[in-house]
Amino acid sequence: MTQAGLYTLAASALAGIGVYGLIVRRHLLRRILALNLLGNAVFLLLVALARRHPGYVDPVPHAMVLTGIVVAVSATALALVLARRYYAETGLRHLPEDEG
Amino acid sequence: MIDRAFDLLLIGGMLGLAVQVVASRALFRSVVLFIALGLLMAVVWARLAAPDLALAEAAIGAGLTGALLLAAYRALQPAGEAGDAEPAALPRRWALVAAVLSGALVAAIGWAVLGLEPPAASAGREALARLGESGVKSPITAVLLSFRAVDTLAEVVVLFAAFLGARVVAEPLGRAGPGPRPDPAGGEPVLMPLLLRVTVPMGVLVAGYLLWSGGHQPGGAFQAGAVLAALGVLLRLTGRLQPVAETSPAERLALVGGIVLFSAIGLAGAGMASAVLAYPEGWAYTLILLIETGLTLAIALPLTLLFSGSAGLRWRGR
Repeated sequence: MTQAGLYTLAASALAGIGVYGLIVRRHLLRRILALNLLGNAVFLLLVALARRHPGYVDPVPHAMVLTGIVVAVSATALALVLARRYYAETGLRHLPEDEG
Repeated sequence: MIDRAFDLLLIGGMLGLAVQVVASRALFRSVVLFIALGLLMAVVWARLAAPDLALAEAAIGAGLTGALLLAAYRALQPAGEAGDAEPAALPRRWALVAAVLSGALVAAIGWAVLGLEPPAASAGREALARLGESGVKSPITAVLLSFRAVDTLAEVVVLFAAFLGARVVAEPLGRAGPGPRPDPAGGEPVLMPLLLRVTVPMGVLVAGYLLWSGGHQPGGAFQAGAVLAALGVLLRLTGRLQPVAETSPAERLALVGGIVLFSAIGLAGAGMASAVLAYPEGWAYTLILLIETGLTLAIALPLTLLFSGSAGLRWRGR
């Protein structure tokens, strides 16, 4: 198997772990962590696919992922502020929909 | 052979850490392992011939995200409670269902991507072939600021929007960000001033170098902005920068300057060059460097302020 193939499989496994964490865990911080794992999986998939061309490395997915890393940290920061404010207002660290 | 072994080791480490992040009982452990995973991702990017990403991931993915997560972890800890009493996880049988479905997802993605054939013509090949037209020598910078400049412009707008959103729901100054503000005048480790005296100028130098080197080798506004933001975090944590409720005019300029400058040059391209966000002949390198300088600040400041949890920062010194 090529290096690109190996890392695409790793990306799919990482995505699976992220989705599993997103479903099973309820703590807001854990959800944000799981979402970031899923994001990392998407980035890894793009970069691994950029590597499969014979003779060159595709710069377009690299640029997309670079943009994506900054967007991911912005979204994470906003999500964390929302979670903190939610906790300050309600004293809850999970969403009431997850009560069960 | 040794290459393959290294790849397998990296992937094993990455997946192992990811499993621990999800499954670990203690939330603090999950957060710390997630930061470790970020560092490992930087090595993965380097292995996959993406040094630009490795630089950005080390500074942003592991550094800044980690700082934000740790600050939030502390804020979400109930007062007087030692361990973290978490909301109960899903019942075991539902967790099993979720695991099976996630496993199916892994298989589906894996099956789909392994069947993909590399396309004969890709945007990347086109970009590499026309690198000479962009005015810069680094293909990533060429894509980011010339061929797909619109993505980059939208990305700084997203960052700015996230900052505005965070201001809307911000907590009071005393509780926001990383918590109690240390006073540099009273009681800090003896080595702290020395450490700052070395790291801060070095950090500024590294950021400047990364910004300039973006034109011909890995680096650019993203990495430079991330390094500056990391310095901002350091100065905020050591009390050199104090959070304030007002955004100063200079901070406002840095926050929107990059976006305004980028948009103005982009619009001017409609008249002076071939299209919106195209650069006039011969001016590309100068304009790209100018835009990147603005973008560096437009990336560094909102990230620092998001960490600080304040509308502005004021220099306090010692």
